[in-house]
Amino acid sequence: MSEAAIEGAEAAAAPAAASALRRSLRAVGRTGVVLAKRALMLAVLLAVVFAAIELLPGDAASATSERGESAADTAARRRLLGLDRPVWERFPDWMTALPTGDLGTSARGEHVTDLLAAPFPNTLLLGATAFAVTLAAALALGCWAALRPGGTADRIVGFASGIALALPEFVVSIGLLLVLSLWTGWLPAVTLTAPDGSPASWTMLVMPVLALTVPQIGWNARIVRGALADQAAAPHVAAARLDGLSPRRVLLRHALPGAWPAIATGAATSTGMLLGGAVVVETLFNYPGLGTVLSGAVADRDTPVIAGVVACTGAVISLVLLCADLVRARTLGARP
Amino acid sequence: MSSAALAPPRSRRPRARVLIAVAPGLLLTLLALTGPLFAPRTVDSPVTAPYAPPGKDALLGGDQLGRDVLSRMLHGGSALIGSALVVAVLVTALAAVLGCFAVLTPVLGRLVERSADVAILLPPVLGMMLIALAWPGGGRLAVMAAATVLGVPYAVRVVASAAAPVAASGFVEAATAGGERLWHLALREILPNLRSTVLALFGLRFVAAVYVISMAGFLQLGPQPPAADWALMIRENAPGALLNPWAVVAPSIAIGLLAVSVNLAADALTPAARREP
Repeated sequence: MSEAAIEGAEAAAAPAAASALRRSLRAVGRTGVVLAKRALMLAVLLAVVFAAIELLPGDAASATSERGESAADTAARRRLLGLDRPVWERFPDWMTALPTGDLGTSARGEHVTDLLAAPFPNTLLLGATAFAVTLAAALALGCWAALRPGGTADRIVGFASGIALALPEFVVSIGLLLVLSLWTGWLPAVTLTAPDGSPASWTMLVMPVLALTVPQIGWNARIVRGALADQAAAPHVAAARLDGLSPRRVLLRHALPGAWPAIATGAATSTGMLLGGAVVVETLFNYPGLGTVLSGAVADRDTPVIAGVVACTGAVISLVLLCADLVRARTLGARP
Repeated sequence: MSSAALAPPRSRRPRARVLIAVAPGLLLTLLALTGPLFAPRTVDSPVTAPYAPPGKDALLGGDQLGRDVLSRMLHGGSALIGSALVVAVLVTALAAVLGCFAVLTPVLGRLVERSADVAILLPPVLGMMLIALAWPGGGRLAVMAAATVLGVPYAVRVVASAAAPVAASGFVEAATAGGERLWHLALREILPNLRSTVLALFGLRFVAAVYVISMAGFLQLGPQPPAADWALMIRENAPGALLNPWAVVAPSIAIGLLAVSVNLAADALTPAARREP
């Protein structure tokens, strides 16, 4: 190979490497923009929540007052909790402490981070398991229904999901509790906690997870089915079908990749429902999660605890939405 | 130009099928609203032993204080359905008006988009708890206010996206060029073309309201204990589910049936083109 040819090859490789670098930089930049947008929205939500709690009457100092406590004592505790300072001083303080993991002090003087340290992972475990089960089941059911549009499976899945998605989680819980626990005795009705504060056995997760997933599977199966139907009308899928590929191959290799953005967005919106539903289901099954902390905090009007829970769940939902954004960006590429 | 002209005509469903799908929901709603008239006993006097099994005195047995479950069932649905209906009407009306304005004023449109993006970060239960606790003694009114506030951002987005093609159509441009005022454009030119969207939205908001309000009842945020409410009955009687299962099963079935039948009705009202390929 001559010298000139090597030089030529190198000259050609340099712009290619540069453009690859530029492309990856642009991808990182896009991710950064999406990340910043999601973080900003979370900050706005927290500001709204903080303002709402401030604007409405009553506060933590009067809600946690003991019987027969004088007005002076309540005022003293209000000063101790820092509630006498104006809200525009307290909110920035609270916000700037957030990235360091400091969620503030509860009305009873405990650190909110310590209060949430044990229950939050438990709720997260419940929510994440439910999310995984939901996604797997919804994908399986949606694909099964989409294999033969208008067939028996399609009609059964369509009807069942219409019923399942409307049921509130606590109604599903009652049904499961009666059938799986009280009448057959297969599963424990109440969650017992191990010394470290987590559920003592995995069998105690089964019913809460099932109660959370049933409505969400209904919702997501419908979204998967709808997204696959939209894709089935796309020209490249029609071409693959006309080429005589098997329905399964057309579905999995040609229709499903294009359906990912819609499926990811649907699953991401389920995150909020799963976390919210977890609070309800936890109360029923006595599961040691955020639900227990929240019901105590609601009774005490404990703003920092509730704001802390909102911050934690909001962060988790933002993260899942971010993943959905990235899936969408990856599938659609540079298209708007 | 009307909404029928925007959507292909074949996407319209036969009227009879819509009626059949809506009937169970309507029937159940009527039954719950007139239920108190048929209740054999009062809701707050004990007639049996606590958690007594079904017998001659009480067809569905007694609850945790020995009150007649059947009478409490007949009383317990009207307020739940009534408040869900009010919330659904309020959210739909607010969203319809706001959505039509949002599509004409870009600033409001962006605000609507962003507020829906922010609202999705707050699980409905948490929002409910926040408002109910910020308004002590608000009871059912606080729950209804919370459900309305939480429901509007998303609903406005639905209306705005349906209104966008209408706002871009020729007759609205002509009216704008003719110097019509903003409220006239929004309420007289655009809104009348969104009937099917608004009807479908009402169905979906009713489903969501039943869900949120029954959940608040279950968490004891709305109606307080002596009151008869299906969701509250489930919470109160859960400890005695083994002694008298009917005290828990009956209200669960009632809420389940209500949610499912309302959802089937809402499905039938949704324009078919959006759901089927």
